[in-house]
Amino acid sequence: MENLNSISDEKIIQDLLPQKFNRSGRIWTGVLIAICLVGVYAYYRQLRYGLVVTSMRDYVSWGIYISNFVFFVAISLVGSLITAVFRLSRVEWSTPLTRIAEIIAVAAIIFASIIIIVDMGSPERFYNLFIHGRVQSPIIWDVIVITTYFFISILLLYFPLLPDIKILLRYKETNDNRFKYLAKFYSFLGSFWKGTPEQFKLSERAINILCITIIPVAFTIHTVTSWLFATTYRPGWDSTNFGAYFISGAFLVGGGGVLVAMYVFRKAYHLEKYITEEHFEKMGKMVVLLALLYLYFNINEYLVPAFKMKKSEEAHLTGLFTGEFAPLFWFAILVGMILPIIILLFKRGRKPLPVFVAGIMVVIGAWFKRYLIVTPTLLHPFLPMTNVPDSYRHYFPSWEEWAIALGSLAGALLVITILSRIFPIIPIHETLTEQHETAD
Amino acid sequence: MRLLIKNCIASLSIIFILSSYNALSQDAQKGDLNISLSYFISNNKIPYVLAKVKTKIDGKFQMVSGINLNLFLDKDSAGTLIAKVVTNGKGEATAIIPPSLKNEWSSSIKHTFLATFAGDKKYESSKADLTVGKAKILIDTTSDRKITATVFEMKDTSWTPVKGVELKIAIRRLDADLSVNETATFTTDSLGQTSADFKRDSIPGDAKGNITLVAKIEDNDQYGNLSIEQSVPWGAKFVGENNFNKRTLFATRDKSPIWLLLMAYSIVITVWGILFSLVDTIFKIKKLGEQLKS
Repeated sequence: MENLNSISDEKIIQDLLPQKFNRSGRIWTGVLIAICLVGVYAYYRQLRYGLVVTSMRDYVSWGIYISNFVFFVAISLVGSLITAVFRLSRVEWSTPLTRIAEIIAVAAIIFASIIIIVDMGSPERFYNLFIHGRVQSPIIWDVIVITTYFFISILLLYFPLLPDIKILLRYKETNDNRFKYLAKFYSFLGSFWKGTPEQFKLSERAINILCITIIPVAFTIHTVTSWLFATTYRPGWDSTNFGAYFISGAFLVGGGGVLVAMYVFRKAYHLEKYITEEHFEKMGKMVVLLALLYLYFNINEYLVPAFKMKKSEEAHLTGLFTGEFAPLFWFAILVGMILPIIILLFKRGRKPLPVFVAGIMVVIGAWFKRYLIVTPTLLHPFLPMTNVPDSYRHYFPSWEEWAIALGSLAGALLVITILSRIFPIIPIHETLTEQHETAD
Repeated sequence: MRLLIKNCIASLSIIFILSSYNALSQDAQKGDLNISLSYFISNNKIPYVLAKVKTKIDGKFQMVSGINLNLFLDKDSAGTLIAKVVTNGKGEATAIIPPSLKNEWSSSIKHTFLATFAGDKKYESSKADLTVGKAKILIDTTSDRKITATVFEMKDTSWTPVKGVELKIAIRRLDADLSVNETATFTTDSLGQTSADFKRDSIPGDAKGNITLVAKIEDNDQYGNLSIEQSVPWGAKFVGENNFNKRTLFATRDKSPIWLLLMAYSIVITVWGILFSLVDTIFKIKKLGEQLKS
């Protein structure tokens, strides 16, 4: 952000203040709301008629809801990567990306919680987790750790916002049209922030504690999610490597999500001076590293069992490599890992547009990868059931499942969109501070 | 054309004749049944009869199920009917001597059991009989772990010891009986007695160390199958490993392992303690701001 030195504080603030939606923004929001409403209608049907409206039966009891859940949990890890790891490592170029990462994390973890309740069928069953839950069960660990991670993510979004809220409130007094309806909300959130050294000291300390706390919690949330699978004895899930495999995949999809968001916000809010090509260059390199790491774990997860090809796992593995799931499997490997690696390995590929394309590939590939982790295994149990209808041996989601899954994805994007409308997508105060430090 | 019709008629006639022959031959190929009877009495209580039915198919005996048998005591008449039974999947059927035949049973020291099969579409009628004399076994043990079995038979109106009867003295186990020592069978002396030393000291018993001894006569031509049991505390006490209702990973929520509870609660309390202290920080920041305002 060297070029910011020549820009006045006022200009920076004006550039970074939240902006009203333009026509494209309104269309985008309208489309997201429409998709969410279809999802809500599908969920109403599920509540009214029961889980029978889904294609989940005795074999596949975890379908795209759980795939979606794992995807959301994975992408939420980006908050800990960009904010905590980079902050503790004093990676200063990441400053414009921290708020984006925190917002993605909050949106993703909200919908991870919602989709798991959707998967239960009747939502009141969630209550049973508390009255009948066993501390020995990874499902309870997951409930605890998701709640914890959600709370930490909210705090990590909130503390760095306080100085920015002071700036936003200052513009309330100028009767700026952008803040007409948000002023009360800003006052509620941070009217007490005066920017005194004592307040800064307390806030900095809190952010540092959060950054240290969120890393083990982030590792735990995805390790525990992987244990939901790995603690059961099934082909494809019976692995001691699942925790590390899931975490590496989560960092990759989180990085991919940030690549996409960086590009979109840069374009939509004209933030070229703040999210520069250098950011794309560096995040591109980061994502290559993460993609290589995840590819390494994938090779471990599939090549070793394929080499042994145990009889009990043969149907599952051949189903993935050459069977009914092969197109999806190779799509996820190629589009989710290999092609982004090829694009981002080269300097020309780390320009904004190719980086955006690679980010999209990573995110889409990651979603299908979660589906491939969850569903094929359930179709190939070690002990097949007898006398089940043939339709139970195959799974293709019903329109209600698609609508709810897409609705939840749209919902997460809607939360990101709304938060970016309410709060500065790039931390204003931190940008000003860094600019002053560079100038000094 | 005429030739074709003739050929058709000839062919149909052959088919008809062959099928008629086949249908007729069904009756001519009825099987023979072999019925065998065995007599059992356990612990000198209610006696019962076991009937086994088999037939020869392709040179091999096979048990026959679903055969209706009438079992009689001493003579084939309605008044001495023990039971009407049907053989099970193993070709076996059992019937106890009913209380209605108590007088007939008491009136003689020897009885003949009769089994009759009236015949059906598949098998010819058949019958079998078995004659047994009334007998009983008594078992006694001493503190030095010696087991004495005595065999009596009914003579006239009293129980008389029997010499030269072969019997087994064993320990009841789950699948089969285990001999109490290296001797497989024992023979009664002139007092009708035989003794065996118990040499299975370390054999597992129940929770109190109880084991069941059995003295039995098997397939004796005169007396059938007799057995008597007695429980003795000569076995090793069995201490089973039972994790039911104990603190394990697979137990109910109130039986979580202590180490897991400690780990889980300490982690949750630590992390949430930090988070609540951070919420408290927000209030501190708020307080500082309000102080400045005032």
